[in-house]
Amino acid sequence: MRVILLVDMDAFFASVEQQANPALRGKPVGVIGSGKRTVITTASYEARSCGVKTGMNLYEARQVCPELIVVVGDNDKYTHTCRQLKEIYKRFTPLVEVYSVDEAFLDITGSYHLFGSPIEVGKRIKYLIKQSFGINATVGIGPNKLVAKLAADISKPDGLRWIKKEEIPDILEDLPVEQLWGIGRKTAERLRSLGIKTCGQLGRASSGMLRSRFGVLGEHLKAMAQGVDHSPVLPESEDFGDTKSIGHSMTLPRDIYTRTEIDRYLMLLAEMVASRARRYGYEGRVITVIIRYRSFETFSLRKRLSIPTDDTHLIFRTARDIVRSVRLREPVRLIGVSISGLTQGNNQIPLFEEQKRRKRLLNTLDEINTRFGSNTLLWAAALKSDREPGVISPAWRPDGVRRTL
Amino acid sequence: MNIRVSKEELQKRLSDIQSVVDKRATMPILGHFLLSVGEESYITATDLETAIKEPIGVLDIKERGDLCIPAKKLYEIVREMDGEIEIDSEGTEWIKLKTGKSLFRIACMNPEDFPKWPQFTDKITLEFEADKLHQMIDRTIYAAGESDTRYTLNSLLFHIKPGDKTFTIVGTDGHRLSMIKDSIDIDLDKEIKVIVPRKSASELRRFLAKGTKTKEAEETEGESQEVAESTGRVKIDVATNHVVFKTGDVEFLVRLIEGNYPNYEQVIPSANEKKVGINREVFMKALRRVSIISKDRSNAIKLDVSPGVLTITASNPDIGEAKDEIEIDYSGEAISLGFNARYLLDALNSMSSDRVIFELQEPLSPTLLKEEGRDDYLCVVMPMRI
Repeated sequence: MRVILLVDMDAFFASVEQQANPALRGKPVGVIGSGKRTVITTASYEARSCGVKTGMNLYEARQVCPELIVVVGDNDKYTHTCRQLKEIYKRFTPLVEVYSVDEAFLDITGSYHLFGSPIEVGKRIKYLIKQSFGINATVGIGPNKLVAKLAADISKPDGLRWIKKEEIPDILEDLPVEQLWGIGRKTAERLRSLGIKTCGQLGRASSGMLRSRFGVLGEHLKAMAQGVDHSPVLPESEDFGDTKSIGHSMTLPRDIYTRTEIDRYLMLLAEMVASRARRYGYEGRVITVIIRYRSFETFSLRKRLSIPTDDTHLIFRTARDIVRSVRLREPVRLIGVSISGLTQGNNQIPLFEEQKRRKRLLNTLDEINTRFGSNTLLWAAALKSDREPGVISPAWRPDGVRRTL
Repeated sequence: MNIRVSKEELQKRLSDIQSVVDKRATMPILGHFLLSVGEESYITATDLETAIKEPIGVLDIKERGDLCIPAKKLYEIVREMDGEIEIDSEGTEWIKLKTGKSLFRIACMNPEDFPKWPQFTDKITLEFEADKLHQMIDRTIYAAGESDTRYTLNSLLFHIKPGDKTFTIVGTDGHRLSMIKDSIDIDLDKEIKVIVPRKSASELRRFLAKGTKTKEAEETEGESQEVAESTGRVKIDVATNHVVFKTGDVEFLVRLIEGNYPNYEQVIPSANEKKVGINREVFMKALRRVSIISKDRSNAIKLDVSPGVLTITASNPDIGEAKDEIEIDYSGEAISLGFNARYLLDALNSMSSDRVIFELQEPLSPTLLKEEGRDDYLCVVMPMRI
């Protein structure tokens, strides 16, 4: 029987801001993505109690909570905290999957007995986080990731809950399906149209019917409703041979449409991708660019290189050529760059001295940024006077590479 | 315009330009060709990187003029027509094609919009053997990069040195390099170094082959049929941004890449002491076999060279290992090196001699592959760290 633990930071961005600035503590705080985007990404619990919700725009938020203090998010602060949190988790198990900037799964199956019990591990983690960062976290524990997530969701904020296997049927019986991790609003609506409202009902629904309505997903939905989930905790590590892609995307502080602005973000993303590839010794042959328009229409384009690369400029220039090959119909909301077709341990020696110098330059750059923090040195082309942090993507991870495309 | 032209003539000319016509249709006009009927009549096609211009024999001219006609469509139509074809224009927007009772009316574009053939004020003219040039491109193009954003690497360098009267073509992708040298009779006061994009070089190769194609080969139209056998001369006009190659009365224009080609002479090793003689076919077969194991690991293979024996190994933690041994002509001290097998195979494949000489020095220094008894054609392959 596995023991999986989810650490979910309470109102993470807002808590970090409150911690950094004592004047904000105990007050309703709303974090917005940037000066120009005015959607609340996180609200402190004080603000939530007034009715401020994630996704509200500033006007709506001020309507329900006139005394709301608005803070522009600082991604560097959050990612920095996230990296340090990971170090705490690793004291309990090497199997740590940083799922998003404020959530991490820990597989403590083999290690919890060293600390007493799963609950004891949860308590210690909560204590260490509170002590180190002054912020609250909720810990959910279960026999798999799905149940651990559920345990955390139903005990927020500042909670600690262990759902044991035998408790699962009772808890799920009356739980609305949309409260289950992985069932979105649309799926829930479709289920409701079939008369299925609770996990209990979904768990008892006929497999054949579900399969005919949802395809292969049907069986999966049924299993989820029964609290069954076999997905492993996937620690990021350089040891994975089956890595498929390395990528980053960014929702921009505001919609942009000029080539020069787009180029700047491509440069920034190319460096993020390339430096990560270099850290893990990967080179990619296929460069993919993802563009999301203001209307949320999203498309991706790719180009195959003859030689795999981990060079920031090659990735940037290829990405730029890709973007230049299309006529942008709308302002751009999100840009992503990724490399795939990865090979590892390509130790091909370059022919020309300039290539060798280039490699040395990139290595030095990486060493400096590893020692003094990312973006200590960055390419001038990625600089901009008003480069503001975009809303951090929930899929953000401190490091590691994805294993899916 | 109103002319009559034989189906055979029109079909041949249209066939010649098809490979130059831009099929990606990024600009619609590039999917068209220009037909100019005047003192001399010729057709022109371009994809902006390369352009081809050739004369067309017209049976009868009633009215002169320029037309910009969809290249692929017209070719398809002409292939299905018989006998003499009458081309009659309605302004510049439409043409009518008539033969017997068949009639086609095809929309055209404004010939004024078709890219102009550049005028050169300052050019140097050379002459070279067409089939030699064809072969030189053929033997170096494999090493040029293909989709690199360092544009100068996606190309071939044509280097003419008047001092030692040599014409050299070089291709490299930054990991391996091929170089072939021939003599050229020329009297100039400075070197010529032009960078020809890989794609244009490939078209040029096709053009040189076509200029010398036999009638039979033409009819089958397969790429495999492109055998350059003639001893025709090609006239080369080198201008600042373009080079024009002429065989007979057909002109092929290439737009050059600006930039600095890497210093290739510096990386060709001249003092590799460990010289290994190997049967080319045997070496290739062994490399192909062993590298199956490491296909998804950069084709990495290891060569252990010892007196009389070359051991080729590959390993892949996900699959397993492979080992092969071949007989070699070598008596020096043992050395081990890693390689991307693809690079060695490409080089060996471009050679034609029975035996090759593989010149080595240190495990991480550049290696040299040559045909036995020949110094004017060589391939440099950088090893891999193992």
